Amino acid sequence: MPQKRVMQIKEHSLVAPDTWRMVLDGSVSAKPGQFVQVSVSSTYDPLLRRPISVHDDGPDGLALLYRTVGRGTHMLAEKKPGDNLDILGPLGNGFPVPAEQKVILVAGGIGAAPLCYLAKKLGEAGKQVIFLFGAQNATQLYLPKTLIPSLTALEKATDDGSTGHHGLVTELMKKYLENGPLPVYSCGPEGMLRAVVKTAASYNAQAYVSLEARMACGVGACLGCVVELSQKSGKTYQRVCVDGPVFPGEEVFCHGC
Amino acid sequence: MAADLTVKIGNLTLKNPVMPASGCFGYGEEYAPFYDLNKLGAVVVKGTTAKPCLGNPPIRLAETPAGLLNAIGLQNPGVEAAREKIRSLAQTGVTVIVNVAGHSVEDYLKVIEVLEQDEGTAAYEINISCPNVSAGGMAFGTDPRIVESLVKTLRSCTAKPLIIKLSPNVTDIAEIARAAENAGADAVSLINTLLGMAIDTSSRRPLLANITGGLSGPAVKPVALRMVWQVSSAVNIPVIGMGGISNAQDAVEFLLAGADAVAIGAANFVNPTVCIEAVDGIADYLVKNGFSSVTEIIGLAKNTSADKKGGACGCGKK
Repeated sequence: MPQKRVMQIKEHSLVAPDTWRMVLDGSVSAKPGQFVQVSVSSTYDPLLRRPISVHDDGPDGLALLYRTVGRGTHMLAEKKPGDNLDILGPLGNGFPVPAEQKVILVAGGIGAAPLCYLAKKLGEAGKQVIFLFGAQNATQLYLPKTLIPSLTALEKATDDGSTGHHGLVTELMKKYLENGPLPVYSCGPEGMLRAVVKTAASYNAQAYVSLEARMACGVGACLGCVVELSQKSGKTYQRVCVDGPVFPGEEVFCHGC
Repeated sequence: MAADLTVKIGNLTLKNPVMPASGCFGYGEEYAPFYDLNKLGAVVVKGTTAKPCLGNPPIRLAETPAGLLNAIGLQNPGVEAAREKIRSLAQTGVTVIVNVAGHSVEDYLKVIEVLEQDEGTAAYEINISCPNVSAGGMAFGTDPRIVESLVKTLRSCTAKPLIIKLSPNVTDIAEIARAAENAGADAVSLINTLLGMAIDTSSRRPLLANITGGLSGPAVKPVALRMVWQVSSAVNIPVIGMGGISNAQDAVEFLLAGADAVAIGAANFVNPTVCIEAVDGIADYLVKNGFSSVTEIIGLAKNTSADKKGGACGCGKK
């Protein structure tokens, strides 16, 4: 059940270029893949809250990982430990729990934010997690140090070849899918998600993608954040905030139509 | 002693003058986790059409300084599916006002015809002002002759209060309000959103897929307040004021300008509990300023003999 609450910032630091990690005092009892709506200003400008993925949640606090891209996130980056933040959440459906023992996570850039929390929870549930992480260059590949030992495999890809595979992160998926389909969970830029879904489909693997959208209410009322989906019943517009942000990949990136 | 918050819209008595605005509150389900919706004067549900409506393609939203452009395009499940939602909301005791939208006179009639079969609907808000649909919508609300004819037709189909929701995108909103009153409307509500647009300088294209959208939020409040003042001076039927109301003080301004009740829209997106905070804040304002009933302050700003020294100190009203 979403709640509106005021939480105090415990930690706030720049962990990679333009990438901030904020830890808030308290938990919102989020599931992996859920997000919170953060009020970045106490005035009416900017008016709307900013949707930010849950990067970690639990007794140690609620962690958010975000990239400064616009005015709202730049204002958020100005906040200091000790400041209070108005939070609405947890929101959204979250990632479905896999039945399989082994799963593949494919992150692109800041899309790693929700997948870190997913990886942690899957690890705690005894699942084997293969974490494939792509970005433009090595400096953008931030992962929490505590997460890395829990991963069954971690592979990196960069556009400039500064670390890991020189090329697309989706090219790393193949060797893990060749021995049979595994569920794929992904978050990142649209072009990458499209390629993830296509690659997964070519190995008969189910892909789930976490989307972002311009959003107002975050609770499903305004119908502002919709994405076009191809479902059995035909074309529909579904709300990213409550019907998502996680959707079956083939519904977002329709094949053969 | 607590002030009397009840107001009347036609033959409908509301327990207080605050309601969430249509299109900003779905059918109530989304905000029910945050508070008891029975604390509201009414809930105005999403614009409902005769047939299911897919709405406009994304992008549907653009944030602007202290405001929000939207081009949802009346996405709704259609009256048959909405009927269930309206019924279950009404069963919890909430006063439900249904926003009725359409592309033709027949569309409006169909929605009312279906809902007349149930008890759930307390009143109809007739949306003749949606700026985001290509046919109908706002086109109905910009010509006083068309407004008069439409309201007359709908009037003959229901005894329930008919509230006509007016567009601000006209030269003389008072003239449209008078046309609605002449045709038998029980109330008018205003303002719907102001037509606007935004352009993405990277793509060099309009930001909204619909090109234009409706502007709401604090940015439009002064325009809305002025129109509420003008319309409430021009008609004798109740006025439901809205447009940028974000807290109790804004709501009190609209009441003072002549609104009999207020609706809160975009502010729900920012603060999901804004409506009940406004109910409590209006009650506080009345008590602190020595009023025993909300009806005492409706249109009070027009009263030239009012004590202009009165403030929120509790000494204003003698």
